[in-house]
Amino acid sequence: MRWPRRKPKAEAPPADQLLPPEGVPIYLRIAGVGVRLAAQITDILITVIASIAFLIVLGALDLTSPETWGAIAYMLFFIIRVPYYVLSEIAWNGQTLGKRLMKIKVVSYDGRSLKVHALVVRNLMKEAEIFLPATLVLVLDASEPAFTLPALIWIIGTCLVPLFNKRRRRLGDLIAGTYVIHLPQPVLLQDVSNLSLRRPKTKQDFSFLSHQLDHYGAFELQTLEELLRAQTSRMPYQTGKTYADTLAQIVENIRRKINYPDNITEDQRLQFLQAFYNAQRAHLEQRQLFGERRSDKFFDENDSKETS
Amino acid sequence: MESADLIRSARFREEREADWRRLEALVQEAEARGVTGLSFMQARDLSSLYRQATTSLAIAREISLDKALLAYLEALTARAYLSVYAPQERLGGVFAKFLTKGAPQAMRRSWAFIVLGFLCLGLGALSGYLLYFDDPDWYHVFLPDSLSAGRGPGSTTEYLRRVIYDDDPSAQGRGAFATFLLSHYTRIAIFVFGLGVFLCVPAIALIFYNGLMFGAFVALHVNRGLGWDIAGWLSIHGVTELSAICIACGAGLQLGFAVLFPGQRTRAQSLRVAGRDATKLALVAALMLVAAALLEGFGRQLVQDLNTRLWIGWGVGALWLAWFCLAGRRRR
Repeated sequence: MRWPRRKPKAEAPPADQLLPPEGVPIYLRIAGVGVRLAAQITDILITVIASIAFLIVLGALDLTSPETWGAIAYMLFFIIRVPYYVLSEIAWNGQTLGKRLMKIKVVSYDGRSLKVHALVVRNLMKEAEIFLPATLVLVLDASEPAFTLPALIWIIGTCLVPLFNKRRRRLGDLIAGTYVIHLPQPVLLQDVSNLSLRRPKTKQDFSFLSHQLDHYGAFELQTLEELLRAQTSRMPYQTGKTYADTLAQIVENIRRKINYPDNITEDQRLQFLQAFYNAQRAHLEQRQLFGERRSDKFFDENDSKETS
Repeated sequence: MESADLIRSARFREEREADWRRLEALVQEAEARGVTGLSFMQARDLSSLYRQATTSLAIAREISLDKALLAYLEALTARAYLSVYAPQERLGGVFAKFLTKGAPQAMRRSWAFIVLGFLCLGLGALSGYLLYFDDPDWYHVFLPDSLSAGRGPGSTTEYLRRVIYDDDPSAQGRGAFATFLLSHYTRIAIFVFGLGVFLCVPAIALIFYNGLMFGAFVALHVNRGLGWDIAGWLSIHGVTELSAICIACGAGLQLGFAVLFPGQRTRAQSLRVAGRDATKLALVAALMLVAAALLEGFGRQLVQDLNTRLWIGWGVGALWLAWFCLAGRRRR
């Protein structure tokens, strides 16, 4: 018997990439199992609290007797949670309260609007995928291996489904055609190149020659960017000796690497770093415009490897 | 610093920053109030600013090495994309469409699975019925005490009759038992639906077991000569309730079949396609369960006459069938 040969797979786009009609690929970061678990636990807490509140109201109105409290509480929890997930995701376009708190969101696999039926089915499946295994785990009995073993295998199998696909989809997501992403948070920080750092008393212009700027790549540039950005939010207590030493070390390293002749005095260090950042960025961006991307300081070695 | 002193990518940012901020505000508003809550001008600006932002992103990826700017633009375009292309669906008319078209059409498309669901329940009931007449002790094997509410081979015929024709509707515990039964069946419906995807096996097992319980329960009453009475007692809501469970089972089986026999599609694709009809079936089942609860809560206690009970039960069943068969057909 011949096995049907698999077609060689075409180069699949990354799982978090989406190509809108504009043709510029955008990236929606896939939410991992941990953050989704946190959102789920938050939702469970919310529904449990709601059912306890209902139970107290019922108790105050004398509608239940203490013997039946267990059964009624279980039923209330069930009656509240099933519509809670469906309705909240419909109302907030794919976010329950827990998901809002964790800043994650359900999106459709094709990047279009979420259909109502998709939200209904992914939350109905939650019963079979999360609540039933969770209840089973609580009631499993080691003395009955004939029932316990298959149940355990089934529970583990269900839990593993999200780990075996790239978009971390559980069964309900697969049926609904949805997956969960981190909701992108646009925060525009100031441009480091025109940041106003503390000015030294003596203003001095630093100038760099082009061969001095041929040592570093984008990675080092962006690390320097983060360092400079941290200066704006620097607390007064960060002016200690270790801090000054670190800064001195960085300046000294750069100076040695690029063969910068002049000495840098202590109050000029930040100014020097910023001037170097600006010159380096302008230089690298220009190289990039000419088609030469330098991802890090090893760009020379990479080049020679490719050509040889 | 003068703008002439700026490096090129910083100038690029300075020229466009106001537009990006504006888009950010618009996206926030669109998310809070929905795209339909925007004014005409705002909606127009949202889409054109979004397109500008995608262009900015494409350019920035080429010319800029400013990490903060790149991260911001990536997040902004992605967020704007979601509010332009994946806004909240309009909910108006969803219910009407579901009732008049979606549900009955889905029911007709998946009739084979529903028949399979009924078969599983029917076979279970038949086995339970026959097994009871073989040996009444089977009754205790199938029905846990919490479900039978004291009715078993040991109870007297008189007691069984009293339960069926309940003289005192406000009897303690009766209401709680009914609600318990309801949530029991709702849970079973959700489980047979959700478990179907695990290669059909758990769904079939669960519904077969429920058939066994049902069969044994009926057999107990038939044995005492209460056959017609229990038929009436069960019919008034059971026709609707058991059909709902079979339909939920049919939906689950449909998902299981999609996993087992995906055909030319991948399993994920085939699940997604099967999910559309299966969800509608599950919702129909939920609707029927609510109706069954109303029938059980009011009908069973208010209507004590055997024939009326039978009429109501099967009449409602016929109405469901008419809905499934007749509604949503295209006019020729």
